[in-house]
Amino acid sequence: MTDPFASFVADAATQAALAAARTAAEARRMPYGPLTFVGPRGSGKTHLLRAIRDRAQLADPARQVELIALGKLGDLVHGRGMTDAGTALRDRLYRADLMLADDLDAVARHLPVQAFLFDVLERRLAASRPTVVTTGISLGRIPELDSRLVRCFRDATLIELMTPSPATRSAILDRRVADSGVEVDPGLTRALASLELNSVREYLGALNRILAFQQASPVVISPDDALALVGLDRGAVVLAGAGASPALPPADTAEFADFLSDVVANVSSQFDHWRGRLREAIGHWQAQGVRTRRLEGILAGDSGGDPEPTITEFGRDAGELQRLVAEARVIAPDLAGAEVFRDPDQLAAARQLVAEARARRAPLSAPLPDLRLENLGVGPSNRLAVEAASAVVADPGIRYNPLVIVGQSGVGKTHLLHGVGNALIGRGLSPIACLSAHSFLGELAAQKTPDELAQWRARYQWVAGLLLDDLHLLANEPRAQAELLQIYTALAEGNRPLVFTGVRRLSDLEGFDPRLLTRLEGGLVVEVGAPDREVRIAVVKSLLAGTSSATDAALIDFFTGRPADSVRAVQGAVQRVLGEAAAQATPPSPALAREVLDVVESKLSRPARKPANASGILSPGLGVVRSREKMIHHWPSPEDRLLVEL
Amino acid sequence: MPLVNFTAREITCKLVYYGAGRCGKTTNLQYIHGRVPEARRGRMVSLATQSDRTLFFDFLPIELGVISGFTTRFQLYTVPGQVYYNATRRLVLQGADGVVFVVDSQARRFDENIESFQNLQENLLEQGVDVRQLPIVLQYNKQDLPTDLILSANELDEAFNFRSVPSLPADALHGTGVFETLKALSTVVLQRLAARSPAL
Repeated sequence: MTDPFASFVADAATQAALAAARTAAEARRMPYGPLTFVGPRGSGKTHLLRAIRDRAQLADPARQVELIALGKLGDLVHGRGMTDAGTALRDRLYRADLMLADDLDAVARHLPVQAFLFDVLERRLAASRPTVVTTGISLGRIPELDSRLVRCFRDATLIELMTPSPATRSAILDRRVADSGVEVDPGLTRALASLELNSVREYLGALNRILAFQQASPVVISPDDALALVGLDRGAVVLAGAGASPALPPADTAEFADFLSDVVANVSSQFDHWRGRLREAIGHWQAQGVRTRRLEGILAGDSGGDPEPTITEFGRDAGELQRLVAEARVIAPDLAGAEVFRDPDQLAAARQLVAEARARRAPLSAPLPDLRLENLGVGPSNRLAVEAASAVVADPGIRYNPLVIVGQSGVGKTHLLHGVGNALIGRGLSPIACLSAHSFLGELAAQKTPDELAQWRARYQWVAGLLLDDLHLLANEPRAQAELLQIYTALAEGNRPLVFTGVRRLSDLEGFDPRLLTRLEGGLVVEVGAPDREVRIAVVKSLLAGTSSATDAALIDFFTGRPADSVRAVQGAVQRVLGEAAAQATPPSPALAREVLDVVESKLSRPARKPANASGILSPGLGVVRSREKMIHHWPSPEDRLLVEL
Repeated sequence: MPLVNFTAREITCKLVYYGAGRCGKTTNLQYIHGRVPEARRGRMVSLATQSDRTLFFDFLPIELGVISGFTTRFQLYTVPGQVYYNATRRLVLQGADGVVFVVDSQARRFDENIESFQNLQENLLEQGVDVRQLPIVLQYNKQDLPTDLILSANELDEAFNFRSVPSLPADALHGTGVFETLKALSTVVLQRLAARSPAL
């Protein structure tokens, strides 16, 4: 196989770099500091790193080699926090047999990335693991470089790379021409290499453009013409192969001067507009106490890119900072004055502070961990609702926001709601508030002072998602509805998911604020019906799982064949039989199930005896009552009630 | 081609003269070349046949100097007008920031003008360029010819200018309307530059 270093055209000045690179590619240990290549842009540093990587993997395919562009680390490392991908990368870099890090100068001023890099390098150096680093400028000239990181390079082997000589450039260009298969003038590469451009990349870019022109040309383009075509040469007029051109009028540059002044006025006015926009943005944010270093840098001409995206991004960061400080004022007033809340460049640190403050506060009611979507029996009666719930999880806050699930008690709405909550948490959304309307009312009633109420409201306004069970219980509760409306608006505006359940369709709800109802109707309303056979089978199988009758088809068939208008009814019947089987120390069987359930049903089918002195409130039960809610079966006379209470 | 390179502090505009064969595209560039001070113009490359027909294309770079801190360059190109050089036309058109469509005002060349105009739109479409968004200026060349041989600017506007873009009468051989056309196109291109990069 070809030696990866063969693609590196080296002259005498870069022989030392090549030799060091070969050594690094094969070294198992590197007891000194990182091997460091210093060279200007386009001097071949990245090319050299790739060659080292390829050589190392060629020598030992099992060797773990990591080549990383340090300029891209900023996406993974923010402030004091780090993304999961960042943590995984750090671990990978620790363990790599050979680490190749490109563009150390790209981490200038980015302290979190420097800390990350220090952490990695320190551990690698301690273990003498080979590490190669490149930088465009010498370490001492990299602005705001962490002194701990500089110390990692104290024993480093520094090798300087120079911009290649014209002969080397010519060789590089010749190789590119040969690879392209395009016929060019033999003197082209030498002519191009003789120019003084900034980097090899620029030479190759110019050559690529010339090759494109050449491919479209029916004749071989001369070196002079080729260079002129890509704007690299200036000289006299050449009319290659041209016949007599029309006689030009005597040179008179007044027209050009007029044209030029027009263009200058045009460009200048546009640039004044740009500077005006920047000054306007700086003034706007400074007036609000926000640090504007980023924008001032562009105005001073230090920026390397189009400034408008930076202005937009700055506005977005500053806006988020203001929302964070507003939240901090409510949940952690002691933190609100922190400097990080004034500097959009410290946004990551501000996010971290607020996240910590949120974590310190009372925990929200979270979804029950056992109720998961994957445990839910799915059939025609609830398939639509389950699919809608899955869509909410896949695209939270965007698809079906809000999602309203309606259906009779016991059909699995609560399971579905908590399942959505757990799945959202699984996707990294946190915190998710998942509670019943009953709890919501209770929490609200417990807020005695306006401050307590504001704090309670703030807790919900900052959640990543709100899942509310039994919405119908908020009927005729105007205060709770008003609070829910406020929370709803905050979450919906932030594209955070909202899911509700209720036993009645929205059109049948009474005692509700129309503003709340119209918002709910704006989402997706899905209905869950009584459990069909598929759902019942899934429920029964999950309850029998782990018992000796888990695969008893007759028993499963018995349970699923019984009429049931709720999942709870099915669960109740199965649990009863399992309990009886345990009491009798026999395996559950269809016969036992029939005996247990038929007895129960026969008792239920007897005419109800009027209680003499009971309260009249019956427990739900035996799988035939429609709801777990207690039902008033018979309202006793006042004398009876008096007796009970006494 | 990047229109504005903030890193290198450069503005580069690629302007293409498009039109049917012998309509006067090269003549436009030659006139401009003759009026640009030597220090500000690059080599004009013109690959042509003995019969003075552009075989490949013409290229004229113009250095406008440093404006508001940005080195500003215009690169003027022409395309070969002949039907069979469409591949070259497409290549030259790639990355154009603006187009001067040169119309030969002679009545007998009307169909060729129309065909070339349609060809321009097809090539732009093929490159995914919205013809309504690209700055275009119409130049009605050869207006110096006897009036019974040519169509007037108004008549040509009727035929070509359904998008109400700037249109100018010209006599490229003697320079009438040449710089006016370039000025009109550069204004629209720079305006679009501001619209595309609102920072500018």
